Amino acid sequence: MASILKLSFGGKAPAAHHRLGKTFLFSGLTRRQLKIVDALLHDRHYLAGEVVFDLGEEGQALYILLSGRMAVLHPAQGELPLAELGSGDFFGEMALLDELPRSAQVRALEDSHVAVLFRGDFEKLMESHAELASRIAMQLARYLGNRLRQMLVQRPASGD
Amino acid sequence: MSPHSVPLLPYRPGPVAWLGIVAATCLILFLFEKILWLVVPFVMGLLIHYVLSPLKYRLLLAGVPHKTAAALVALGAFLALGGLLFLSVPRLSTELGSWPELTARYLDGGIRLLTDSVRQLEKRFSFLAHAHVSRELALQIADLTNSFAHKYLPAVAVTLAAWAPSLLLGPFIAFFMLRDGWRFKKFLGRSVANAYFERTLYLLDQVDRTARVYFVGLLQLTVFDTLCLALGLWVLGMSNPLLLGLLTAVLAWVPFIGSVMGCVVVVLVAATDFPGNPGMAYGAVLLFVVVRLLDDFVFMPLTIGKSLKMHPLLTVLMIFVGGAVAGVPGLMLVLPVLGVVMVLGESIGMIVTDARLRARHAHARTLREAAARRGL
Repeated sequence: MASILKLSFGGKAPAAHHRLGKTFLFSGLTRRQLKIVDALLHDRHYLAGEVVFDLGEEGQALYILLSGRMAVLHPAQGELPLAELGSGDFFGEMALLDELPRSAQVRALEDSHVAVLFRGDFEKLMESHAELASRIAMQLARYLGNRLRQMLVQRPASGD
Repeated sequence: MSPHSVPLLPYRPGPVAWLGIVAATCLILFLFEKILWLVVPFVMGLLIHYVLSPLKYRLLLAGVPHKTAAALVALGAFLALGGLLFLSVPRLSTELGSWPELTARYLDGGIRLLTDSVRQLEKRFSFLAHAHVSRELALQIADLTNSFAHKYLPAVAVTLAAWAPSLLLGPFIAFFMLRDGWRFKKFLGRSVANAYFERTLYLLDQVDRTARVYFVGLLQLTVFDTLCLALGLWVLGMSNPLLLGLLTAVLAWVPFIGSVMGCVVVVLVAATDFPGNPGMAYGAVLLFVVVRLLDDFVFMPLTIGKSLKMHPLLTVLMIFVGGAVAGVPGLMLVLPVLGVVMVLGESIGMIVTDARLRARHAHARTLREAAARRGL
């Protein structure tokens, strides 16, 4: 009961209860900071089989999967997904950093709900809320570093 | 269904697209002139919004919610403006009471300078003296000034009275832009299909960026102009240099005509404050020319020039077109409108010519129709 009162009067509710709280990119943000980020996000719904973005398309936004499942596909792999994404995962993150074309296609495997962070909004966030944006950028750097490490580990193994 | 992409060729608008952009700009200016009572407060609201939004962001950063931050910033601006008006009311009321005399005094000063200059020319060139140019000029000016106040001042007073309520809309619009502007983008985004969503966000961002850079640049340019002119006028020893600098910088918002009017105002003041010293008026003209050159070659590229990446010839031509289509408002609004229409035209062209996006949209529609028929 006390916790309900605390929430309804805008008390310091745990950030994990926020819909963005379980996304790695936003871990470390306070509930107030999550609310600031959330105000910038656009909610979109995709049906199973619908393409979110294509390989080669100029990326403008990062996507956070709130519910549903999505597949990352590349022509070199045919219909075999490079990765499957679930609730809390994010994709299209390179669009926040540069204007290079998307490196893969992302398609919904089931009806899905995503939140979209547009690059222009992220840039404005860096100007207006530098600390908040730098935390997100730091998490993004960690994520990309981990992915690079995984690739380096996998490469000799696949060479064998 | 394998992952597929159509190779992207960078879209460049062709002659037809450019014709469309110019035609759309003219149409918008034409419509704007018809609803000027709404366009002026909207532009005013936009300017106030751009000036105040950094303060709102600071409050957001401090943890204040959107609505409260907007209300606090608006209240602060209202109090600051109200305080300024309150402090300047005694002086303003005195000056407003004497403005017909002041206007007449400055006009007389200007006319004296003009007739003195013509008399000097008559002394040098006998054909001017034979033609009695200075006498004719004095007669015509006297005729014009006698009927000027009678003819035009009531019309000016009525126009000002008619515009006052409309101008009050400006701060009102600015407040709602501050409070709900961020929702508007989401609202527009929601009306767009998934396939076109990213491009639409980009388009909205570019439109916002173009308008922001233009209007903020215009304000910065006004500040630079005011300071340079005020400094120059102060060095020349003229009265109220800051007020004169600000007035001429604001008049310069109207391309060509505004600059000439500003120069005339400064010359009138110089001729009146220093009668019998035409060198001062010539000095003011020289100062004006120097500041204009600084404006065109230094300040403009640093401020407004950043927003409008268009050919100088097109810029000049469009200013004339804007003036022809919508008069003075057309002159003032043609460049920001052209900038925004260019962004819209290029982005819409990009979307319309992208076969892959259209195919994806058709595919999504088929999926939605199938989902709607499920279980029937």
